[in-house]
Amino acid sequence: MRLSPPVRAAAQRLALPMLVFMSALLMVLGKADILVIDKTRAAVVDALSPVMEDIATPLTAASAAVATVEDAVAVFQENETLRGENARLLQWQEVARRLAAENASLRNLTKLVPDQSATSLAARVIGDSGGAFLRNVLVDAGTRDGVERGEAALTGAGLIGRISEVGQRTARILLLTDLNSHVPVMIERTSERALLDGDNSSQPRLSFLESKAAVNPGDRIVTSGAGGVFPPGLPVGVVSDIENGIFRVEPYADLSRLDFVRLVDYGLSGLLPTSAIPPPRPVRVKPRGAAADADP
Amino acid sequence: MARVMAPRESGTPGSVVPVLSTFLFVIISVVPLQLPGFAAVSPSFALMAIYHWTVYRPDLLPRSAVFVLGLLLDLLTGMPYLGASALTLLIARTAVLMTRRHFVNRDFTVLWLGFLAVAAGVFIFSWALMGICAGRILDARPIAFETALTVAAYPVGSYVLARLHRAFLRG
Repeated sequence: MRLSPPVRAAAQRLALPMLVFMSALLMVLGKADILVIDKTRAAVVDALSPVMEDIATPLTAASAAVATVEDAVAVFQENETLRGENARLLQWQEVARRLAAENASLRNLTKLVPDQSATSLAARVIGDSGGAFLRNVLVDAGTRDGVERGEAALTGAGLIGRISEVGQRTARILLLTDLNSHVPVMIERTSERALLDGDNSSQPRLSFLESKAAVNPGDRIVTSGAGGVFPPGLPVGVVSDIENGIFRVEPYADLSRLDFVRLVDYGLSGLLPTSAIPPPRPVRVKPRGAAADADP
Repeated sequence: MARVMAPRESGTPGSVVPVLSTFLFVIISVVPLQLPGFAAVSPSFALMAIYHWTVYRPDLLPRSAVFVLGLLLDLLTGMPYLGASALTLLIARTAVLMTRRHFVNRDFTVLWLGFLAVAAGVFIFSWALMGICAGRILDARPIAFETALTVAAYPVGSYVLARLHRAFLRG
């Protein structure tokens, strides 16, 4: 396009403020959860996922090689530790077998309805937010594999987060450590409820604790099931550190080294839009004293 | 703002190298590098590419490209405040453009020191921006670490960009 010199000069001068203004506008719009922006995000990530996978493969191989060397150095000491641990675990196995048998016979006695079955699938991590302000990862499974928003993401060790965004072939997992992650948990020993808030550090913190005195370092933290996002009892981590009244939790899963994760659908709908929640049943208020002649 | 004096080669295939390499650096920023203690915070490769091309060939990495690549970075990293990186990188480009005569054709040390200043400015700005968006004061340690890591990794990024530069472009 040919523009006259003064128009061109004006356009040149205005271009930067315009772009800055557009960035600021997008920041406001993007925060408002507009569907178009969500869809654009998912579509862009989907479109670029093959490129990302191609780059990730050799890099993963290289870092695996580094890890192998590191592990080889540590192998002797690790062996010693594992021997000791194995001896202890054998005792636990004995206990677990006895409990499983006891549990089975008790279930039989009480005709307990089994838990709702969960479906799960494994996905590979292909992207990592990397920046100092975000803690999320991209995995190579999306709606075509049946992944839905709000599903739990776990490794063998424990919960890592939940699905926050789904594209056709990719999904984003918001990690426990992200600033926007708030997971309802409880202290397993005391069943006391709390919220596990990420703050971008490697150890999320507990908030809304009722009795802080009842929490000790080493206490196991599991999901509480409140809010209907996660089922109760998923392992999350242990209380590691208490400073200035802030309780920090070390997640069981190593969030800095995720390669394969399990996405589990527990059939919960805690993140569905409000329209999916059934409206409250109308309550009929009876006038006092009229209870006797109420309809049968 | 200083106008660009470098020779125009908008017709040659080499002219897309700055945008293309910055695009690749953006993608690399989100690929998981599973080195211990490294994955949580990784260097900002996109900033390296934008710095390099703005110092040497700002004509081939226009602000509209920086804006689009910044948006792409936000989309890929799942930034809840879409546009934050676009804004930050645009400001970085403007700052570099105004001071580039101090860095062009100088020692690598000068270039590196310049990058240190830009990276520090960018990260302080984004720390403040994120804090305003989140409505509270954020822990500054991760950002300090990211700055240090990015500055430390700059020679590697710079080497790759310089090789591309020499292979495809004249000026």
